[in-house]
Amino acid sequence: MDSLFTGLLQESISGTALGCIYALIALGFTLIYKASEVVNFAQGELMMVGAYVNFFLVTSFMAESGEPTGWIFLSGFIGSILFAVLFGWFLDRIINRPLKDEPVFSVIMATISLSIILRAVVSMFAGPMSLIPVSPFGNQIVAVGGIVISILDISIIVSAILLVVLFYYFFHKTKWGIAIQATSEDPVAAQLMGIAVKRVYGLVWIFSAIVATISGILLAPRMSLLDTSMGFLGLKAFPAAVLGGFGSITGAIAGGIMMGVIETISMGTLSFYFSWIKEINDIIVWIVLIAILMVKPDGLFGVEKVRKV
Amino acid sequence: MKKYIGLSFLLTLLVMGCANRASAPGVSEDKILIGNVQDLSGPMKELGAVLPAGSNLYFKYINEQGGVHDRQIEMMVEDHQYNPQKAVAAAKKLIEKDQVFCLYQVIGTSPCEAIRPILAESGIPLVAPATQSGSMSDMSREAAELIFHTDTGYDKQTGILVDYILSQDSNAKIGLIYQDDDYGENVLKGAAAAEARTGISIQREAYQRGATDFAGQVANLMKGGATQVIIAGVVKEPIIVMKTAAAMGYAPQFFGTSPTMDHRVALAAGPAGEGFIASNFAYLWNSDVPTAVLYRELCEKYEVPEAYMGMYHFYGFATAQVLVEGLKRAGPYPTRNRLVNALETFNKWDEGAFPPITYSQNDHAGTESVVLVQVKEGKQTVITDWID
Repeated sequence: MDSLFTGLLQESISGTALGCIYALIALGFTLIYKASEVVNFAQGELMMVGAYVNFFLVTSFMAESGEPTGWIFLSGFIGSILFAVLFGWFLDRIINRPLKDEPVFSVIMATISLSIILRAVVSMFAGPMSLIPVSPFGNQIVAVGGIVISILDISIIVSAILLVVLFYYFFHKTKWGIAIQATSEDPVAAQLMGIAVKRVYGLVWIFSAIVATISGILLAPRMSLLDTSMGFLGLKAFPAAVLGGFGSITGAIAGGIMMGVIETISMGTLSFYFSWIKEINDIIVWIVLIAILMVKPDGLFGVEKVRKV
Repeated sequence: MKKYIGLSFLLTLLVMGCANRASAPGVSEDKILIGNVQDLSGPMKELGAVLPAGSNLYFKYINEQGGVHDRQIEMMVEDHQYNPQKAVAAAKKLIEKDQVFCLYQVIGTSPCEAIRPILAESGIPLVAPATQSGSMSDMSREAAELIFHTDTGYDKQTGILVDYILSQDSNAKIGLIYQDDDYGENVLKGAAAAEARTGISIQREAYQRGATDFAGQVANLMKGGATQVIIAGVVKEPIIVMKTAAAMGYAPQFFGTSPTMDHRVALAAGPAGEGFIASNFAYLWNSDVPTAVLYRELCEKYEVPEAYMGMYHFYGFATAQVLVEGLKRAGPYPTRNRLVNALETFNKWDEGAFPPITYSQNDHAGTESVVLVQVKEGKQTVITDWID
């Protein structure tokens, strides 16, 4: 019984780290959706681009100085974030603004095209070979009792918590955050109230590119190899965002972590004791998703929208 | 007038002569066109770039020496993105529009399975499909008489690994992590056969293609008490599995099927990957066998980028040798039928890269053995001869 408990705990921690990655991607979805009701299907690819930019910055700094030091990782990180700011701004200019008054559907189609283009462009620049990412945490692990956790996983979990707190504060306490919420509610009224709606949209794209880049930097060493298929993980984060309630920051995080934990436990302990679970492993998160949506159609943390006629 | 009649007679003879040199689709006076369907932009695009590059390296070398029977070999590559439907469309295009002589190296089990009906319909041979699925040489299947496999199948590899483990440790408790698709299915077939043969039972743990987390599977193997674990994954999976196990303080002896033989497994897994043993259907590219020596010479001569050099590039190179040998044996007037007959004359043909290859009318498997390669101090070292 004891081994059952430690097994479950181990899988929960590992699943939480995986879930935090889903959560960060879902957070990116949520930010853009919150402001413009657009689902950015290129969110996974933004993460992949961030991971590549960070890889090239870190390796080129390393080529200069030889040894990977903390400073190199830090400057690589800052450089990647700066890139994300520019990239988010650029995407807002080429995708969001030109399509501002078009149906939401057109913008969504544009993001799907963007995801395909980004994969192709990165392949062109980086070549077809997958790369071996370097991590400042190496392979270090901490063991507590029978449970082990890698420093990398801890850093993923900590970053996710920090980002959520930051964005929660931003959306609920700052002027800009409230402006974004108002824009999401009614763009025309928001504009009439003096909110620079265009600038709000630009801001959310930049934020979402930053979140994507951070998750890319954290995820790459966890995946051991970096290639363009990393972007497909974005599609796994989509049900996480729906599960938590699209448009809710707490929901994105809760949904992501739930998915990660369910996935890991069903692959592990559940499959070990009930072999038929192995057969439905790849659909189990979808089963949970449907079950939850049946009870709570707006997701766990979603707000029910009532439109009065 | 008589002069003109004589001249036109001569011309006709000349044209007929040329026509004879063009003995089949894709074969002209000075060229043989080969069709290849690769994954250039899908999940295996990395191999899609490297495999044909390795083959072209050998074709270039042969072409510079005058080609095969004075014909230059030219390879056309189409993209299937690892999608069986696209593989069908690409193969059709190569056969009907481009009129290639034969298909070669088509990558992936599912794409190869999908084009069987086209092979059967057009009677076009497929030489060296780039998959280690044992189903490729199952002679009871459609178009099997046209497919010539060069790689020892996953089912056989799994059986050989189980036998090897039991020969080293008769009390071994074997675990298996496999990909939940046609690759894994072939591995499971080998595992089931090995269980029936040896009377042991193997603990099976599945994962989905593209998985990035193996904590559950590794924890289960630990609970099950597996002392030896076979990883039937590709590159990422063995790295993550071994790192996860090391993190959990679980240290079984890890083994892997041929796709895990990639040198990056040792590079990226670091200390966790030390001692890892992989089976491979081809010899090491940096060894002293004749093909490997020639390979390295040509890589240097043609300035092949270092990132390309390695097992898959070498594999592309080695399968090109098989094709060229078949074309040579098919004679100066090759037809598709003659190529099939020529390949079936291979009898323990050995250039060093593959185990000795033998084909016959009833057996297109080519080889049944593997070599085991172990990571020692971060370097891959061959630890056995060809074993079967």
